[in-house]
Amino acid sequence: MPPGLDALKHIVVLMMENRSFDHMLGSLKAVNQQIDGVDGTQSNPDTQGNQVFVQPLAEFQSQLDPDPDHHFPAVDQQIFAGDQSATRVATMKGFVQSYFQQQQDVAHSHKIMYYFSADKLPVLTSLATNFAVFNRWFASIPGPTICNRAFAHYGTSFGQVGMSMFYPQGKSIYERLQDAGHTAKLYYFDQASSTMEVVNLLQHQPQLFGTYDQFIADCKSGTLSDYSFIEPNYTDHDNDEGEQLASDQHPDHNIQAGELYIASVYNAIVSNPALWASTALLVVYDEHGGIFDHVPPPACTPDGHSAGPADTQLNYTFNFDRLGVRVPAILISPWIPKGTVVGTDRVFEHASIPATVTSHFIGAYIARTPREQRAQTFLDLLSLDTMRTDTVVFNT
Amino acid sequence: MNEAESNPSSKRRRKAVGLSKPMLSGEYTAIRIPIPPASAMNRDRPISSLIKNQLLHIQHAESARLPKVKRVGVKLEDIHTEAEAAAYIEAVTRVLHPQGRKKPRRKPRS
Repeated sequence: MPPGLDALKHIVVLMMENRSFDHMLGSLKAVNQQIDGVDGTQSNPDTQGNQVFVQPLAEFQSQLDPDPDHHFPAVDQQIFAGDQSATRVATMKGFVQSYFQQQQDVAHSHKIMYYFSADKLPVLTSLATNFAVFNRWFASIPGPTICNRAFAHYGTSFGQVGMSMFYPQGKSIYERLQDAGHTAKLYYFDQASSTMEVVNLLQHQPQLFGTYDQFIADCKSGTLSDYSFIEPNYTDHDNDEGEQLASDQHPDHNIQAGELYIASVYNAIVSNPALWASTALLVVYDEHGGIFDHVPPPACTPDGHSAGPADTQLNYTFNFDRLGVRVPAILISPWIPKGTVVGTDRVFEHASIPATVTSHFIGAYIARTPREQRAQTFLDLLSLDTMRTDTVVFNT
Repeated sequence: MNEAESNPSSKRRRKAVGLSKPMLSGEYTAIRIPIPPASAMNRDRPISSLIKNQLLHIQHAESARLPKVKRVGVKLEDIHTEAEAAAYIEAVTRVLHPQGRKKPRRKPRS
């Protein structure tokens, strides 16, 4: 076993909200041609028939308002440009037209093609270029938050393509680990933000849950669980420590607040040398939020469920046989070679999370969903023979 | 020092995310990151579909888990802003997961 895997005692996943790969990391193509980002030639037609090209004009806030539609029918339009025929092809040409429908404003609809220049996202782009960035990490479903986050917890959404709450029919990654004598925790930001995993809160409280403050304390004291899943702050609100900006980066929340949050999670780990040497941190986004990406989502292993027209709100049944839009994903560890770019030949999705965590901590596990069984795992990226002594840290 | 850094609320935001200078002994590159401006805060922002759905989930949890006497008694149709949503979510989460309550800060030694 590579020494980095031998040393690995903790896996931490931070899942952010609603941004596509090209929007956040597409600019890095100019830094490294291996990164499958944008170069200015990618475009979508608008409702007037004009081509709208990608531009590095994304702003921290107030640009994607209203929130771009990312429910199943809208994402279908974004991917297939409105084609619902049996022979349709994923062209990624329907983003501008989809966004236009929300405000009927042609100029505003063009903003869905904007991406961030690298200098605007110092945290995300520094982590991407210093550790491993994935060229092909996709949302699990071409749909919204809840069903996609479910894949990170269960390896399936149990047939859900929307935002409904559901009771799972299988064991979450947290239960699996606890059953096997390991520890796992789901950290939400604070009680006013709470969690998107309310069903877990109902069924498994309190041992499964912690807060962001507890995560920071656990990192400091060296008592972090084997597996940790971190949620950002979902709303602007006040708590005992003052005003709290939403840090999830969900439009129209401030992007810089999310950068601070990612930095704080990373800093908490890197500040404890023993923890840093024994931890892999995955920063990933749950779905693209209706924002442009140029890579067509590939077909995938069906997961044994289907969602009929009443659920998809389209004239067809979805068999969970195609992934959602590509999202940013970065794996961080001192055992990863600097500047690693995970190639286009390796496709990951959120089922890769329970697949990886289960394989590392438990090993053989029969009750995996079909999607999880086929999902790529990512710990082979910790490939160095000796741990890196260089790293980056963030301060304000 | 820019406007954001000199603003006391910005310092609170920085503290709230725990971003203190790491104590490292090895080789590292420090990257300076900006703090959002005070104007980024908008408690009155209308809630997104994500928060609307979270409210439904929280309400389901409230009715499923809490006896009537402990329920918050808020109508979701009366919740329009993020601050209003956060207040309701906090009230229910406090009962569902009391372990998540912030610990009282220690009084400074005299």
